[in-house]
Amino acid sequence: MPDLKIQRKPLDLRPDLTMWKIEGPLDAESIGYIHREFDSVLESKQNFLVAEMSGVTQVSSAAIGQLMGCRQLLVERGGDLVITGVSLDIKSKLSAMGATKIFKFYNELRTAVNAYHWEVERKSEMVWMSFPPELQFVPPVRQMVSRIARQKGYTNRDSFRIETIVDEVCNNAVEHGSERLKKNIDLNIKIDREKIELEVINASDPDKIDALRALSTSMPKTPDAKLGQKRGRGLALIKMLSNKLDINFSGDGTSVHVTKLREE
Amino acid sequence: MFSMDTQTPYVFKVKFPSDLDYVSPVRKFVAETLAVNKFSPKFAYRSEVIVDEICHNAIIHGSRTVDATVEIECKVFSDRFEFQVNDQGGKRDDIERLKHAMKKSDARLADASQEKESRGLGLEIVRLLSEEIKMEVGEDNMTTVRVVRKREDA
Repeated sequence: MPDLKIQRKPLDLRPDLTMWKIEGPLDAESIGYIHREFDSVLESKQNFLVAEMSGVTQVSSAAIGQLMGCRQLLVERGGDLVITGVSLDIKSKLSAMGATKIFKFYNELRTAVNAYHWEVERKSEMVWMSFPPELQFVPPVRQMVSRIARQKGYTNRDSFRIETIVDEVCNNAVEHGSERLKKNIDLNIKIDREKIELEVINASDPDKIDALRALSTSMPKTPDAKLGQKRGRGLALIKMLSNKLDINFSGDGTSVHVTKLREE
Repeated sequence: MFSMDTQTPYVFKVKFPSDLDYVSPVRKFVAETLAVNKFSPKFAYRSEVIVDEICHNAIIHGSRTVDATVEIECKVFSDRFEFQVNDQGGKRDDIERLKHAMKKSDARLADASQEKESRGLGLEIVRLLSEEIKMEVGEDNMTTVRVVRKREDA
């Protein structure tokens, strides 16, 4: 009889998802027990399992191998088995066994649920920003968007291109926005596994609207299309780096919407 | 170029999903914004530490529902930095624990000989590094933590 205890229960945040609260030693004797418990997970048609392991006192390679097998079956069904709450000691042992390359580890249940939304349900996440129309705010803003992209798994190259797009769009919003109103610029970010969408909204300067509209419609396809023409290069660069660019001018605001697909 | 003064602040906001993934980009954004507004690197970094602690608390204890968000609103004056973090309200237990931690950090600072526990140290650090910290619990347990830091070289 193994000393290990596995308590199966629904997650508070998402009752349709299942959690295993594992306590005691994950040793070779527990393999049969894990197998039986996992069979009942499969029977209930669950394909995402969170193993909460804060109560685990020791780990053996045999038991971890069993968990890897369970994970593989869930992955084949489009789900995953993820781990939360492991102590530093257990995590270093799991790392030595190579388990950290197989399983995803999260500090707490909440982050594991968010990962489920992101990885399995492929939901998008939104960030809303508002900042003053001053050029010194643009570098921190663009770097924040780039960091979010990297944090969400985009490559350094993709993240840097996103940073370049944000820089150009936000600089334009500051330079061509209304100097009289001094209204904050809004940046809305929608990110998912496949793409990032950026929307920058600023108060328009009525005197510049017509010139901007003309510039956006005569946008060169490449920056050197019209050598010597300095205006419009930023928009051309955004167009080159992104997959979709829409600009809307209205009486009191300009809105730029950019979509950039994840490339790598 | 800089219109910032002691009366009219620059105001900026970020609203983000209640997920620890976002804390690092947000706290770095705040620190970089302070740096470009001529606050010292030390001031910017200490502000980053405070933002990290409060946002972390908001995510762990406050905005815990699916699709919950956390909002940080910052005001940069020439002589000080003020910000508030709003979360969507945790369980009654979480709020009571936060209130208790606020009182406890007061007591700890007043009596440095008290035994240290790692849990709850976050708010103690925030209090140590800031001039003012207030917590308000509104309707539906919506929680706001407000912090004021004064420029050290002013």
